[in-house]
Amino acid sequence: MIGPDFEAVLATAAAGDEQAFGRLWHDLQPRLLRYFMVASPAAAEDLASETWLGVIRGLHRFQGNEPAFRAWVFTIARHEVLDWRRRAARRATEDLPANGLSEQAAPDDPAADALEGLSTRAALAEVATLPPDQAEAIVLRVVAGLDVQRVAELMGKRPGTVRVLTHRGLRRLAERLGTAAPVRGAV
Amino acid sequence: MTAMGPDDASPPDMRRFSTPGADPLALDEDTVERLLTGDLQPHQAPAGYAEVAALLAATVAPPRPEELAGQAAALAELRAVTRAPAVSARARRTRRRSRRQRVGLAVVAVAAALASGGAAAAAGGHLPGPVREVARNILVSVGGGEPGTSVAPPALLGARPGTTAAAPSGPGPTGLAGPASGSAPTRAAGAPDTAASETERLCRAYLAAQDKATARKLRAASFKQLADTAGGADKVLAYCQELLPDEAKSKEGKQKTPPDDHGQGQGQGQGGPPTTGGDHGRTGSPSTRTSR
Repeated sequence: MIGPDFEAVLATAAAGDEQAFGRLWHDLQPRLLRYFMVASPAAAEDLASETWLGVIRGLHRFQGNEPAFRAWVFTIARHEVLDWRRRAARRATEDLPANGLSEQAAPDDPAADALEGLSTRAALAEVATLPPDQAEAIVLRVVAGLDVQRVAELMGKRPGTVRVLTHRGLRRLAERLGTAAPVRGAV
Repeated sequence: MTAMGPDDASPPDMRRFSTPGADPLALDEDTVERLLTGDLQPHQAPAGYAEVAALLAATVAPPRPEELAGQAAALAELRAVTRAPAVSARARRTRRRSRRQRVGLAVVAVAAALASGGAAAAAGGHLPGPVREVARNILVSVGGGEPGTSVAPPALLGARPGTTAAAPSGPGPTGLAGPASGSAPTRAAGAPDTAASETERLCRAYLAAQDKATARKLRAASFKQLADTAGGADKVLAYCQELLPDEAKSKEGKQKTPPDDHGQGQGQGQGGPPTTGGDHGRTGSPSTRTSR
């Protein structure tokens, strides 16, 4: 979060100021990468670049506060994901899973890792094992930091649906992590 | 039907959502919200959710250096866009498509040139490889024989007089689906004949020429192959339009009378110079995409 400075930072960044833009980038780039790590891990870096291109090109037109800005950036990000998946689907030679991290190296024992401080990457990999809608809803809520209403708009679903998706996702994570280490001492 | 998995909105699940207590992992809405917003530390989380709270906390851990490695590239993009709005990301992204369209235009030119006989010489000598391929295939079918016959001078054929230049024996089983657009980059690089790109080429020439007199000649022979792929002569148009939506759409706008006076008779109206496709796409060989 940039906070009270946001309005000024946005206006200066929109005018091409690199330092101000750098603050926006610094705040959102890790979140974007983490979102892509769940949504389209094979292309996370590229999709982040494409998203920033869209942001840069639309920056002077954007109006709104910081939560609205985040929602706007992640709207662009989500379009990049959908676009990328469409293109990937047309590439016959490549066959990338839509929810790819589940097929990448999963943590050996996520529950055990949790005790020692789970790495961000392993945590995202765990989230990515959820059904795609659940994973996306959780990441948009947690990592992007968007509220239910904005996530609903972004995903084109009703707020109640988003609530159900996140609820089920959390529950499923609890089941998975619980099964992975049924015997547990003090946490 | 037991198709409903644990993720479906079955009534028991909804009940569980609203009545915690019956289920050790039950969550109320407020707890969900507090978990999602990081308001619950692992040790504060309800039974069974400590690991979940820790996992969610890990997803919003402070950025690692590698996550912030691309800032210079992003700033470079900012500079580029701020200073030269014309060189937009969209232009870069559509580069591939405009290249495809340009090749398509060249095909139109070849078709028109063939139809008007003498004009062929004008087009000879500087055709890109893929177009030469198409020209060859069209010649094979239109002329009913090999290149090097009187239909066109050898220059058009990339100086390969006497080669048999038979069209590839037929489209493969993967005619319609994915490979069409995916094969664009390799084809643009002047490379090989896959069955799919062959079909695409035939389609391109077909779309370029169809509803003109030239098309009748084209349809007659070479496009029998295409008709076989499409599942019948009457299905070729729809098939090609689906395979190459861009060409199908942009066709109307691209029909121009060539500036020269070589052409005569049928087909003349179709040939635009191949350069009208926009040359900005041709020059940038290495991608100027930001570093990864």
